Amino acid sequence: MKRAVGVTVNGRAQDLSVDTRTLLVHMLREDLRLTSVHIGCTTGNCGACTVVLDGKTVKSCCVLAVDVAGSEVTTIEGLSTNPDELHPVQEAFIEKHGTQCGFCTPGMVLAAVSLLKSNPDPSEDEIRHGISGNLCRCTGYHNIVLSIEEAARRMRDDKPNAGSRRVASGSVPG
Amino acid sequence: MISQELEYLAPVQLSEALAALDRYGDKAKLLAGGMSLMPMMNLALVEPEVIISLNHLAGLDQIQEDGAVYRLGAMVRHHQLAESEAIRRHFPLLADAAAGIGDVQVRHRGTLGGSIAHADPAADYLTVMVALGARFKVESAGGKRTIEAGDFFLDIMTTKLEASELLVEVEIPKLPAGARSAYLRLATVEGSFPLANAAAVQGGGSTRIAVGGVTPKPFLVSTTSANSPDGGLPDDVPQAVAAACRDIAGPDADYRRALAQVCVQRVVARLM
Repeated sequence: MKRAVGVTVNGRAQDLSVDTRTLLVHMLREDLRLTSVHIGCTTGNCGACTVVLDGKTVKSCCVLAVDVAGSEVTTIEGLSTNPDELHPVQEAFIEKHGTQCGFCTPGMVLAAVSLLKSNPDPSEDEIRHGISGNLCRCTGYHNIVLSIEEAARRMRDDKPNAGSRRVASGSVPG
Repeated sequence: MISQELEYLAPVQLSEALAALDRYGDKAKLLAGGMSLMPMMNLALVEPEVIISLNHLAGLDQIQEDGAVYRLGAMVRHHQLAESEAIRRHFPLLADAAAGIGDVQVRHRGTLGGSIAHADPAADYLTVMVALGARFKVESAGGKRTIEAGDFFLDIMTTKLEASELLVEVEIPKLPAGARSAYLRLATVEGSFPLANAAAVQGGGSTRIAVGGVTPKPFLVSTTSANSPDGGLPDDVPQAVAAACRDIAGPDADYRRALAQVCVQRVVARLM
């Protein structure tokens, strides 16, 4: 059975009609074509489907789409307002080869953005704990950690403008 | 992917949620954080006809001091408990337990009440609640009652909650002045369910140690004996743990018994 869902995704209000069984990850990928949100396990383990829901990272395979009515959702597509400009975390992942096969990358990047919002200067240990909900099957964690350290450096150096320059309206931690 | 058709209800008032639960009973599942229920539905291990979401209910996400007790709403999320100054100060073992559940994303979504009502035998909160002597406030369309944490858990994923009842609030008595507390989990990987866990509270002349994960429900060992001169456990504690673990069955029974003893030793060492 279908149900109307009003939700703000990447800063844009959406009015959708969604089957009550639909997972948030499926609504984002199939109804809104936001295919950065990957499906790994559908059991809340891998973190490939991580999105930001009302300011907090969640695993969108374990949220019913109808349950986010009235909420704000941000995916990688909404991390930067300008399509030609990347978020500093994205830039750092490219520069430090934090991507490897790329499957876990969108979730990793959002987990990293969330971590750096609450802890702008994390230790290596804090970074590893901060991304413990995201699995990299290439086991490329070393470069992912280096990428997040690099992003933290850039965002600290860049602080006066970091909030307004690249980040979508109010919905993205970072 | 969920194959079974679902009716979805999102009550805003508690009375609406209780009326829906009264109407649908066993056909319905309450959806809190969904960190256990959603994977189980995705794997078709549970196929409810009706989902009653608690995520739009007003007022169940509060942490409040009330005289000699703290009142925690059932929809308080793990990260709230882990980050709360008041919880860190009054019940550091609860903050520690919350901070070790799952991972960042799981702690953002998962709830205190959901974990308690789901009653996975290894869940971190169960032992903490038993050690703290928490009381669970439960409501149905027909009325309300209070259930002691020590009486609430009956078996694996089985509690005293009736199909029409909703866990609304957790009430925790403040610890006596100078009390010490600790929580410890033994897990194969960070963030996985612990194999065994223990929570200890020492104060007012006694030590209460709850152990979970090794038996179908947590068990409590209390002692008024002093620690041994070297700071170790009083003799009656390992004996009581062994007695509580006597009926553990299965190929790993000896391992589980050993885990329980190790957990108790280490959690008591953390009190020092």
